[in-house]
Amino acid sequence: MARDAIVAEDLTYRYGELIAVDHISFNVAESEIMGFLGPNGAGKTTTFKMLTGQLKPKGGQARLLGMDVTKNVEKVQGEIGVCFETTNLYEQMSALENLNLFARLFGMRSFDGNALLERVGLPGRGKDRVETYSKGMKQRLMVARSILNSPRVLFLDEPTNGLDPTSSEKIRNIILEERERGATVFLTTHDMLEADKLSDRVAFMNQGKIVALDTPHQLKQQHGKRALKAKVAGDDGGLEDREITLDTPETPEAVRKLFSQEKVVTIHSEEATLEDIFISLTGRGLV
Amino acid sequence: MNWRIIGTLVAKDFSLFFRNKLFAALTALAFVFYIIIYFVMPGTVNENLEIGLYSPVALPAFTEMQEEGLEVETVASEAALKEGVIEGRYLAGVSLPADMMEKMASQQKPTIILYFTPDVPQEMKDTVALIIRELAYLQTGQPLNIEATEEILGPDMSGTPIPPRDRLRPLLAIMILMVEMMGLANLLSEEMERGTVHALLVTPMSIKELFVAKGITGTGLAFGQAVLFMLLVGGFGGGPLIILITLLLGAVLVTGVAFLISSVSKDFMSVLAWSIPAFIILMVPSFSILFPGAITNWIKILPSYYLVDIVHRVANFGSGWGDIWLNLLILLGFCVVITWIGIYVLRRRVR
Repeated sequence: MARDAIVAEDLTYRYGELIAVDHISFNVAESEIMGFLGPNGAGKTTTFKMLTGQLKPKGGQARLLGMDVTKNVEKVQGEIGVCFETTNLYEQMSALENLNLFARLFGMRSFDGNALLERVGLPGRGKDRVETYSKGMKQRLMVARSILNSPRVLFLDEPTNGLDPTSSEKIRNIILEERERGATVFLTTHDMLEADKLSDRVAFMNQGKIVALDTPHQLKQQHGKRALKAKVAGDDGGLEDREITLDTPETPEAVRKLFSQEKVVTIHSEEATLEDIFISLTGRGLV
Repeated sequence: MNWRIIGTLVAKDFSLFFRNKLFAALTALAFVFYIIIYFVMPGTVNENLEIGLYSPVALPAFTEMQEEGLEVETVASEAALKEGVIEGRYLAGVSLPADMMEKMASQQKPTIILYFTPDVPQEMKDTVALIIRELAYLQTGQPLNIEATEEILGPDMSGTPIPPRDRLRPLLAIMILMVEMMGLANLLSEEMERGTVHALLVTPMSIKELFVAKGITGTGLAFGQAVLFMLLVGGFGGGPLIILITLLLGAVLVTGVAFLISSVSKDFMSVLAWSIPAFIILMVPSFSILFPGAITNWIKILPSYYLVDIVHRVANFGSGWGDIWLNLLILLGFCVVITWIGIYVLRRRVR
């Protein structure tokens, strides 16, 4: 069984009177991708900061790779890679200069910045100043910076937020490659589809608490409902919607009635999405 | 403390500082400008006391007075006398009344008007008043009642005239330090505004190393230029080691102020808005050297007073350790306190 790379025990953080993170506990196994979902202000970024040693917890403990983050912050930070939500590159420097700077800070003696840039889809742009890059290119460079030290734990905060589909896909592929390499990935996002595609497990966070944590499949099984959605011809010649909930004792009779009594134009089955589940659990959306 | 990390950060900061075209240009231009100002200022002092005299009556003791170091030039009218004083041709203007002799003969006190420009030091006013008394005594054999109050601030420089450009030297040195203060504050403010400081702080470096690196960058930039300036203008003559230490402390001081400014600034404009008042306040003591007597004792509460005073006394009067040790100690105290406060508030902002 894989060991835990991240362990949060009763983790708490307050900004004055406001409890941003309220006694949360979870663990992430080595080589696992954990999706951390929640709306803005749910406490995701605060949790992210405590796990990466940027904030000292007001209560509880965060352990990474068996080390207490607060007590071994520099050691922990030598083993992690962090990609921030907002662009924070040295824009007056070139991409290669940015990468070389961080490689030196990580104490790396041999480092091939060009190879890394090629890997994130920025070949031949290494000597250009970052200020000339598009948003997607900057985000890919941020991802490159976060993986340059081959981190054992990779933290990504909204890595594809506001990006075009090509850039998003590139970044998702890199995340999967990093997992293949053996890295544990902690992915903070409010993009359900991305979390569903990438994550081995997802945690839903709302108002500082974790309200659900499981694999996307299990969450859908436990909290979602499958349904048949049909469009039937109406009396006035238009189309009307019909929905039949699956997996109930009444389902077979309802399906029979639909086909015998109505003129079905289209029909398809539909699974619950993570967003549906989040709304059913918290009564609010993810944005 | 990891010196490899600190070295990497310092190299990065120096590189970024000179990539900021505005500050790089400002630094180079200001430096050249200060050197030019220094060399275009007079390098010698006219030790002659030039006095304009308007006398409607013939008073040979006054009009024919041409002692060594004293030049009296008679003018035709009171208006011409005032004009000469305003234009700087005379240090003082003396206007004798038409009825001077009659009043003195009748035991009355005649009124002699002395004209000065506002920037004439008090000691010069007193000197002129004394000369008039002497001349009146020579002319009439009676003492003349002229009221004069004396107030001398700072080192008494009577008998030790300093060329204007050498008076300017501490002012220019501190201006160089100030420009670097703004540069460092902007560098730090940008680091926080753009979030790059957070990217740095998730690498295996401590916040202590970050501050040491920033301190070395700021102090290095300011100290390097101030030393170069003093070398070029011959400011190390009096006591090179004292001046080096003083400039180093001055560089640490402005680095501390830069930490303070960057902790309350969000962008370049706010850096500028906070730097200008700091700039003006810290510059004030320099004016006490340019215009002795113009500023009172309160300037001693400003940390830059001790910086300026030591540079002035050592470079211009050859003062030694025994004369300036207390000021050096006070300057060190200010450096420690301001840098500590700067680090404390900036650390809170970074966190």
